[in-house]
Amino acid sequence: MTSQRRRAVVLLLAPITLLLGAFFLIPLGIMVVYSLLEPGLYGGVVWSFYPYSYGRVFGWPLGGGEEFEPLYIQIILNSVYYAVITVIVSLIVCYPVAFWVSRMGPVAKNLVLFAITLPFFANLLVRIYAWLLLLRPTGAINTALMSLGLIDAPLNMIFTEFAVIVGLVYVLIPFMFLPIYASVERLDWSLVQASQDLGATPFQTFRRVILPLTAPGIAGGAVIVFIPALGNFIVPAFLGGSKVQMTGNVIERQFLQSRNWPFGSTLAMIVMASVLVLILLYALWMRRAGKSQPVGEVGHA
Amino acid sequence: MSWFKNMVLSGAALVVLATVPANAAGELHLYNWGEYINPEVIDKFAKEHDVKVSLDTYSTNEEMLAKIQAGATGYDLIWPSVHMADIMLQLGLIEESHINQSKGFENIDPSAFRSKQDPKADFCLPYAWGPVGIFYNRKVAGGDIKSWQQLFDYAAKNPGRITLLDDLRETLGVGLIMNGKSVNSRDPADIKLAEEFILKQKPNVAAFRYDVVPLIESGDMAASHWYVGAVLNVNKKPDDLGFAIPEEGATMYQENLCMLKTAPNKDNAKLFMEYLLRPEISALNTTMLTNGSVNKAAIELLPSELRNNPAINPPPEVRAKLQIFEDLGTDLKLYDRAWSRIKAN
Repeated sequence: MTSQRRRAVVLLLAPITLLLGAFFLIPLGIMVVYSLLEPGLYGGVVWSFYPYSYGRVFGWPLGGGEEFEPLYIQIILNSVYYAVITVIVSLIVCYPVAFWVSRMGPVAKNLVLFAITLPFFANLLVRIYAWLLLLRPTGAINTALMSLGLIDAPLNMIFTEFAVIVGLVYVLIPFMFLPIYASVERLDWSLVQASQDLGATPFQTFRRVILPLTAPGIAGGAVIVFIPALGNFIVPAFLGGSKVQMTGNVIERQFLQSRNWPFGSTLAMIVMASVLVLILLYALWMRRAGKSQPVGEVGHA
Repeated sequence: MSWFKNMVLSGAALVVLATVPANAAGELHLYNWGEYINPEVIDKFAKEHDVKVSLDTYSTNEEMLAKIQAGATGYDLIWPSVHMADIMLQLGLIEESHINQSKGFENIDPSAFRSKQDPKADFCLPYAWGPVGIFYNRKVAGGDIKSWQQLFDYAAKNPGRITLLDDLRETLGVGLIMNGKSVNSRDPADIKLAEEFILKQKPNVAAFRYDVVPLIESGDMAASHWYVGAVLNVNKKPDDLGFAIPEEGATMYQENLCMLKTAPNKDNAKLFMEYLLRPEISALNTTMLTNGSVNKAAIELLPSELRNNPAINPPPEVRAKLQIFEDLGTDLKLYDRAWSRIKAN
């Protein structure tokens, strides 16, 4: 690269770097600092070093109303559980649909892709509210089931774990679909044919050819569904009736009811750190898989 | 659907306000709870004084305080709950308005001077109060619900048909009342009792939720822990719906109207406070809010279904059983932890 071109690159990248720095790193930095400060009596922070918010989660509390409780780890694990279920359900729904859509004619394909992104045009709260109307005892689903004579009394669907999973999957499913679709669309079908010609069973073809080739899409979708699912607080509050508590709900409460900004920041930091560790593991795994895969594939072929 | 109504109402208020001539003599910026002022009241004031009024809303005291503390300027009047008004007075955020020297102030019920920092109302004007009780659908519940015990007995027989508020002080407060303790207790043993009580009810409770009015009206839920504002809906369908202050006692809220130190339009703010002292304006406001009035002259002007409503204008022996929240300072953590445990188990 000539020095002139390098200067041009720096100049072109400067605005976006500054923008990211200002609007991403600074708030993040504030959160890191706040998580280590003393909570102000009426919200806000007192500027003195205070590691005890982490202590409440990990075991070195200040005492006197501030105790160590395994509760918070349990809440985080509970959120991970919901996020994992959301990833699995949306994967099961999206994977076959992606193949179906990729085989459609161009008009139908564009129409379906538009339909999948259409929900983004409406406000999230309104869409979640629609689920409340569908799932409630006098809602459309219960009314339909009862008039068909399938059930005698309305099912308790609203304000349950089931409703939370439905809501999370509904909100996040496009984020799973689009990356999977992209990798399915790029799939080279001649490789599938080759594997069939060489006598592979349909399952072997799927396991050894289709799955590895679409794995990047699955992994990408899983990550971008998992992260927002983990931090979601609107769905458990609205469709879980706040009986289901995820980390996001505890964090929200620290700011809006309990006036403990540092503890809210602490929990947010812990969630973020766990996500970063997971992504790091994923990246390492992908790199190892990427290195070993071609050799293995050639060997088997 | 209170958030939705909020949007519609504030939207409507803004549209109304936008029609006020652009050459208005001044401005006034209100920062209030959602659905906590009759838009007609604002509209009349804007026309009368040729002032352009804006209204922003918040949903918790903490949200409002955080915004003001973060340096939000431009607001003139805020509506903190009494304990939050005390905090804000101590933080020096509130301007002395001398509202107690204005004409019409003699109508304000002295029992509404609940602020510890402002016992004579030199700063803030008592605005409205109300009990937090039980809003129920008589048809679904099979009759009236008059006590917390009755509510929880119903829930034990019909799980998943009642809701409690998603508010740690209010709902733990029910647990404290049922154990005969003060809702302002700082004793960990008392709070433990309240936690155990609510936890015992939790399997029978459908949800911890604010937004319940449409669910009660449609009969999806039989009864909800809710604010006296529900009387507005009860009076539209008196055969189906009801609201009661539970026999064991309940909590009550009161908000005061305060002028911010940073208010850019202090003269208009004072005018607005004085305007709310007028009995007919106060009554107009109460007619929509359907809560307790602090203006004795306004109570006389209320329609009889409100004036004679035992939840809105309760007799002294019922008033005596209502408790108001005090600020607990750092002891709030005891409640927060109990609440997290209730939610997690």
